[in-house]
Parts: sequence; C-alpha cells; structure tokens
Amino acid sequence: MPSTHLLQGTLDLLILKALALTELHGLAIANRVGQMTGGTFAVKPGSLFPALHRMQDAGWLTSEWGESENNRRAKFYRLTPAGRKQLQAETREWKTISLAIAKALESN
Amino acid sequence: MGLLGRITNFSRNLFSRRKLDHDLDEELQSYVDLAADAKHDRGLSTEDARRAALVELGGAEQVKKEIRGARAGQLFLELLQDLRYGFRTLRHNLSFTLTAVCVLALGIGANATIFSVAYGILGRPLPYADADRVAVVYMHYFPRDFEFGTLCIRDFLTWRDNDRSFEQPSLFHTARMDLGGTEAVPQQVRGASVTAGFFPTLGVQPLLGRTFAPGEDKAGSTSLTVLSEAIWRSRYASSPSVIGRAVTVNGTSSTVIGVMPASFQFPRRDIEVWVNLPLNPPTRYGPWFYRGVARLKPGVTLAQAQQEINNIAPIMMREYPYYKKLTLPILSLRDSLLGSSRPAILILAATVGMVLLIALVNVANLMMARATVREREMALRLSLGAGRGRLIRQLLTESTLLAMAGGAAGLALAWVGIHLIRVSNPGNLPLVESVQLDGVVVAFTVFVSMAAGILFGLAPALTCARTDLNATIQESGRTGASSSRSTGRLRAALVIAEITVSLMLLIGAGLLLRSFVNLQRVTGGFSAPPSRILSVLISPGNRKYNDPATGIAFYNQVLERARHVQGVESAVLTDSLPPDRQGDADTFSLEGQTLPPGEINAIISSPTIGPGFFHTFGIPIIQGREFDAHDNLKSRPVAIVSEGFVKRYFPDGNGIGKRIRQSDVNWMEIVGVVGNVKYLGLTADTDSAYYKPFLQNFDPRMALVVRTSVDAASLGETLRNEIQSIDPGVTLAQIGTMEQTLALSVSQPRFDTMLLGLFAAIAMLLAAVGIYGLIAYSVVQRTHEIGVRVALGAARSDVVRGVVRQGAVLAGIGIAFGLAGSLALSRLLENLLFGVGATDWLTFAAAPLGILFVVLLATLVPALRASRISPVEALRYQ
Repeated sequence: MPSTHLLQGTLDLLILKALALTELHGLAIANRVGQMTGGTFAVKPGSLFPALHRMQDAGWLTSEWGESENNRRAKFYRLTPAGRKQLQAETREWKTISLAIAKALESN
Repeated sequence: MGLLGRITNFSRNLFSRRKLDHDLDEELQSYVDLAADAKHDRGLSTEDARRAALVELGGAEQVKKEIRGARAGQLFLELLQDLRYGFRTLRHNLSFTLTAVCVLALGIGANATIFSVAYGILGRPLPYADADRVAVVYMHYFPRDFEFGTLCIRDFLTWRDNDRSFEQPSLFHTARMDLGGTEAVPQQVRGASVTAGFFPTLGVQPLLGRTFAPGEDKAGSTSLTVLSEAIWRSRYASSPSVIGRAVTVNGTSSTVIGVMPASFQFPRRDIEVWVNLPLNPPTRYGPWFYRGVARLKPGVTLAQAQQEINNIAPIMMREYPYYKKLTLPILSLRDSLLGSSRPAILILAATVGMVLLIALVNVANLMMARATVREREMALRLSLGAGRGRLIRQLLTESTLLAMAGGAAGLALAWVGIHLIRVSNPGNLPLVESVQLDGVVVAFTVFVSMAAGILFGLAPALTCARTDLNATIQESGRTGASSSRSTGRLRAALVIAEITVSLMLLIGAGLLLRSFVNLQRVTGGFSAPPSRILSVLISPGNRKYNDPATGIAFYNQVLERARHVQGVESAVLTDSLPPDRQGDADTFSLEGQTLPPGEINAIISSPTIGPGFFHTFGIPIIQGREFDAHDNLKSRPVAIVSEGFVKRYFPDGNGIGKRIRQSDVNWMEIVGVVGNVKYLGLTADTDSAYYKPFLQNFDPRMALVVRTSVDAASLGETLRNEIQSIDPGVTLAQIGTMEQTLALSVSQPRFDTMLLGLFAAIAMLLAAVGIYGLIAYSVVQRTHEIGVRVALGAARSDVVRGVVRQGAVLAGIGIAFGLAGSLALSRLLENLLFGVGATDWLTFAAAPLGILFVVLLATLVPALRASRISPVEALRYQ
C-alpha cells in the first residue's frame, strides 16, 4: 500500500468523513480511510488512536463498546452533532484551500 | 463543546484515570485482535498475523503515552506528579532543602519587610482626598537659608492675593498648647493653628461635628477647637456631647466644634487639637512660624504651580527688602511628610534586593552542585524516553516548590519584622502606621518567590537538559562530570558576583558606620553626661503667669523646689535645648555695624536662658561671665554670644563690652563668650548664637533642666509632682533625659546603619557559604587528581596552597569588580553621610580585607581537607 505522510490536520477531516455514514471501530476507520483515498493514505494506529481520543475529548465523537462483524469486542466511534458541524466546516475550508493551491500551481 | 463538557472531560480524565487506562488497554488489544483476524483471513498463519498486527501497532506503550498526552488536563496531572516527586526529592535531601529554604527565607523575608516599609511610606495612598493634588508651601530666602523654611502672616497674605494656581491658599503652624476645661486638669497638647481653608484642602470629613467654616479665620474670630480622635477618647471619654462644649486653649476660652478621625494626622502624627488661626493684620514682619498648604486647581501640575508661585517671590522681596534671593519651594503632601527619609528607604530597598540576589545565587549554586550529582539520574531518565522539556519542567517544579517554602518562611519573618518596626519604630520613620502586612505585600512576596524559583532553577535545569547521554552513562565516576567544566565556570562566575555584591554592601555599611560613629562623637557642644540631664517643658496654664512679675515668682518657686529634690545638683531654665530644640531665632544688629541698605544679619539661634545654664550643661565659658540673678529688669540689659558669633562678626576677636540688639529692643551689652552649641540638630552646621537672660526677657513657657548626681530618668515623677504642687493648673510635657533626646535625634541614621550592617553581614555570610560550597565541591571532584599528585611527591602545603589560591583568585576578581561598583555607586549614599566622604579610603581599604579574610577562611576548611587526602584511598575511590 503506497503511503503518503498525512498533512497536519487532514487526519481529523478524514476520520470525520469516515464516520459520516456509520459508526465504526478503530481498525474499520483505518480501512475506510484507506479505501476512501484509494490507498493513498494508510492510517497507522500510532496516530489513529491519539487522534480519536483527542477528538472525543473535543466533543466531536462519542464511543461505546460493541460487537465487531466477527464477534469480537470493539470500541465503536460515532459523530456527535458537534462533530458533524466540524466535518462541514473542515470540508468547506479544505475545498477553499485546495482550490487556491491548485490555482497557484497552475499559474505561470 | 461547552464549558460544562470541558470540565466533565477534565474531571473524568483526572479522577477515573485507572478506568480510562484499562479501557485504553482493552481498545488497543481489540485492535490487535481485529487486525490479526483480518491478516489471517488474507492467508497468514495465526502466529504471523498476530506478529504483523503488533508490529503495525508499534510500541503499545508509545501509543498509550501519546494518547494520554492528548487528554485534557494532562498537563495538570503531570504537574501533580512533578510536585509529588519534587516533595519526595526534597524530603530525601533534607539538609540541602533546609539550607536552601533558610537562605531563601532570609532573603525573601528581609525583602518583604523592607518592601512593606517602602510601599507603606512611599507608595500607599495617603488618607486625604486626592493627596497628590495637595502641596505644602515653604519659603527660602537669605540670609536665613533654610531650604524649606517658614513664612510669616504677611508673606501668606501676599501669596494669597497673588495666587493663581491653588484653590484656597491656607496657612498653619504647630505649637504646644495648654488644653483646659472642667473635665480634667489642664494638659499640654500638641496643637496646630490653621486657617479656614486647611480642612477643605485636605478633604477629610470629621468624625463628629464640623471643621472651620469660611470666614472663621477673619481677624478677631472667636476661638474654635477641633479635637483629634485620640484626645477625644482619652480626655472626653468619647462623649458625643463634646460638640459645643467650652474649653480653654492657652488660657483663652474656646468652643469645641468637631472631632477628626484618627487617620487625619496633618501636619504631624501627634497633633491633638486644631484651632482656628485668626488672620489679624500683622504689625510687623515675623514671626516666621508658618507653612502654607493648598490644593492645586484642576489641570495645574505641581511644576506649573511652582513656576507660577515663583512669580510672587519678587513681589515679596519688593515689599520687604530684607529678603534676598527669595523662593517659595513647594512639595507634594507626601514629600513634605517624608522629610529626608526617601533616599534612605530607597537605598535600603536596593540593598535588600542585593541580599536576595546573593541568596538566589547561593541556592542556584547549591542546585547546580546537586544537578551535577544528578546528571546520571537525568541521563537515565532521558534514555528511558523522558522528554527534555518534561525534565526541565520537573526541575523547575522542584525549584519553585523550594522557593515557595522559602517564601512562606520569609513571610513569617516579614510578619515579625513589620510588627517590630511598627511597634517600636526604631528609625523614627514618618508614616510608619501605613507599614503593614497586607495583600500587596503578600502578592509581592509570592511574586518574588515564584520569580526566584524560576531564576535559580533555570540554570541547573538547562544544564541538566543538555546532558550528553552517552558521555554521562559511560562515565564510571560516582559523580558524573561531563558538563561540569562549563557548569564549574558558571558557578565560579556566580561566586564572583556574590563577592562583588557583598563587598559593595560592606563598603556601604562601612561608610554609614563611620558616619554614625562621627555622629556619636558630636556632643552638641556640652560636656555634662547625657544620662545626668533631665528636661521638662513647663506651661503655667493660668494666664495670670503671663505677667512677668507673677511668672518670674512662679519660676523661682519651680527652681527652688527642683533644687531641693534629692539627687538634683543644679536646676536652670531655658527656652532652647541642644541638640535640636531651638526656642527662638532672630536677626540682630550690632552697634557700629553699617550694613548695606536692605541687608540684615543672619537669623540665628537666640536662646533665652536663666542663670547657671552653661554651668549645668557643661558649656565652656571662654570669656567673661554667665548670667546671674542680678541680670534682671532693674539692671542694664546684657547678652552672651557664642565663640562662632565672635569669629564671624567681630574681626578683632573680642566680643566683651560690645552691644547687640534684637530687632528694635534695647541694646544689650555682651558680657560673656561661650562655646558653640547645636540647637538645630547634630548634623547642622550652626555655631552662631546670642543668649538673652530670662529675667530680662520673660517668657511664660520655659523648659526646666536639672543636672543630677543620680540617674536622671529616675527623678521625672518626683519633679512633676513638685511642680504641680505649686499650681495644679501647670502643664508639663516631654519629660526626658538628654540621653533619650540624643538617641532619638540619631535614631534614623542608627536604623539605616543597623539595617545596612545587618544586610552586609548576611550577604557576607552567604558569600562565604557560596565560596565554601564551590571550593569544597571542587576538592571532592579533584580527589583523584590530588591523590595522584600526593603520591607523586607533592607536599601537603602545596595542596593547601593550590586550593587556597583557587579561592583567592575568585576573591580577587570579585573585589576588583566590587571596588569599581562601589566607586560608581557610593555617591548615592552621600546625603546620608556625616563627616565622611563617599570614597572614604579607610572603608575602601578595610572592607576588601574583611572580604578577603572571610573568603580565605571559607577556603581553608576544604583546603585542609584536601591536604589530608590519602593517595591510597583517593586512587581506590575512583
């Protein structure tokens, strides 16, 4: 799996996006991010879990223990309304920035 | 997330830490399980899948640490941890901790005390409305030449009529007064006569009744009295019905109209009554008793007012050509209350700051010595994954903890110090009642302690954090020494700084001490033993004694009774007392002297004295004779002048037989020349005086002075009873021995000298401890080297010399810096010095020798220890 260093701050956005549709546990979030980005980003647990806990402290996520698809105990994360708002805000911001940078790169 | 959520997170993170950690363990475990499952599904063996999953997770502990670090409140948790660890470390090194806390307590305590003095006296708002808008007005002119001299009523009227900068020019003077009435026997009180604008200017509401209304200072106004809270409580039993009561002030009937609260203490702390001052049209210039006080008009600054009032001076000189080079200096209310105390207080504050600096340097030195020992601990913790930032934080927590402990102990010391200063006021400081331990002082102490902790903690913390891991851990010595070379240099620099500062303090203290000794040597001009002279101010109270015949008869009785008291050798009357109670001062004319038009002779002390004055005080009679009982109204007027007077006014050196006149009174023939006496304080350079005989210049208020064969203090009560048995209406004040008077007159220099001496001693002690620590430590470090040298045949004396030289070099550098600093700064002390220059060579020679001695003493102990190092042990030691 080709991997690129995650830009500072993009990890949060990717996690929020991964959780937009449904609640997921840690490994599933990592897989979903990989799948969403076509394998460009591989999220390692060493950065995934600190991010999850930080975002939970910030009130964007909640978590609870549940059963995984193959009947293992796992902790599932879900977006809170605040998290949803954050996702919208960060998406908007990202679009603005990427557009601006794309323009900058295309200019002569 | 709202504040509530944040707090919930914070408290959850703090209080359910264990549960959270357990939860985290499980979560990571579940991740590994899930990941392993996934890899197994993709065809790996169970074992390989598991291993791969673990590798993917990385160091589980690392991940956990990062997650914990991301939690809210983590910083606080770490702080708690650091505090706990800090406490433990400090407890385990009890002797280090105690030394450091004591040193800090001394430094911080002394600073908090002096700060509270400086703030209380120089900074705390005065209890008057907008006190910084109130100015006190003085007059300075020649030939009198008092920088902050007094005005007479005519000058006041000129000022008032031409004033443009002040709201309501007002005038006051203080005097001893007799307060009588039906409630109790008359008593002498300290009173002030003030014009109607006085109270509105200061803007303080009376506790009871009212103050003087506009117009109540017009010529011929009836006498009105405002009482102080203190005398209202003591003499009138706090009775509210005192308002409207008739009392007598100086034998004249007066009506009490108000009571001022205890906080109102202008113009002096001890004023007990204020009476209205009727501005009766003066018949002549003088007496010069008065000072002005007024509030600046809105928008006018003190400097502008000064400029404006300078324009009035020429008018005054035009109206009264005797005034030469007249100016009207004005001072803010605070400066007028402070007198000359400000520079002394500021110098003490600076000094005590230096002591704190030395204390901090010492503790920093201790910490650094310890840091070197702890290098291995730090290196170990670094290698186990502790962040350097975290280590610095940990060390700073420790030093702050230490500083706070020192600060708490210092605050306790300050509490004692402030209490002592308030109760006994050893320096006779003005405004001492505003010196108190309050929020401001506590805040100052906490701030100083925190700053101290960070200051002395930072150097060792940074040194520690720079620790080179490999070097330190490979080092086999018990004391890691990889960074000790640079640390050693820094510590040497700190010790040099200590020596520099101590020397500067020592020189300052030495100069003050020399000056104080000089002051003690000034006798005031009399040779009678101060403990054998008792004086008491007498006011006969009843107006009938204002008549010279009755008054003189009364005083004859006073003298008679005093001479019969057991232990009294001689008794005499005077209106002036050395060293600083000038009764009267005036100009004079000399027969045959022609002065340029408009010139007058200087205004000098002109005491009125009874027969036997010079004998009683032991003042030498150089020529002629003393006054005796025959120098009365029936005989020709006579006078006595001082040696200094003759020198200045009679170029032929002979005064006897010449005639002198006070303003327009009779010519007096000079019958004697006596030694110079100080009447304006020991440091004042005043030696001209002319004396008038009591029997020819009667004044109802005199001081009785007795010279005793026993301890004079023991006769006070007997004398009081004897005098009051003549007439119970007689009031007495200020019964005291010359010894007490002299002590009081030098109390401020003594206080300054004592404190500066104390600070210098502390500084020197701390510097000695510092240099001892440094040398002792370097001897321990060099044990191996010294052992080798001894084994190779170095003599013990060589070893001692080597170590002592190390100390001497530090001392030499410190002394050089200290001398340079003192030369630059000792000029600041000039105003406080008497009879000694700011660059007194004796002090500048003795102080460095003293420092050198102490330093060598501090070096000698470790030097001798070094000489006893046995080569065998030293080599085994490493």
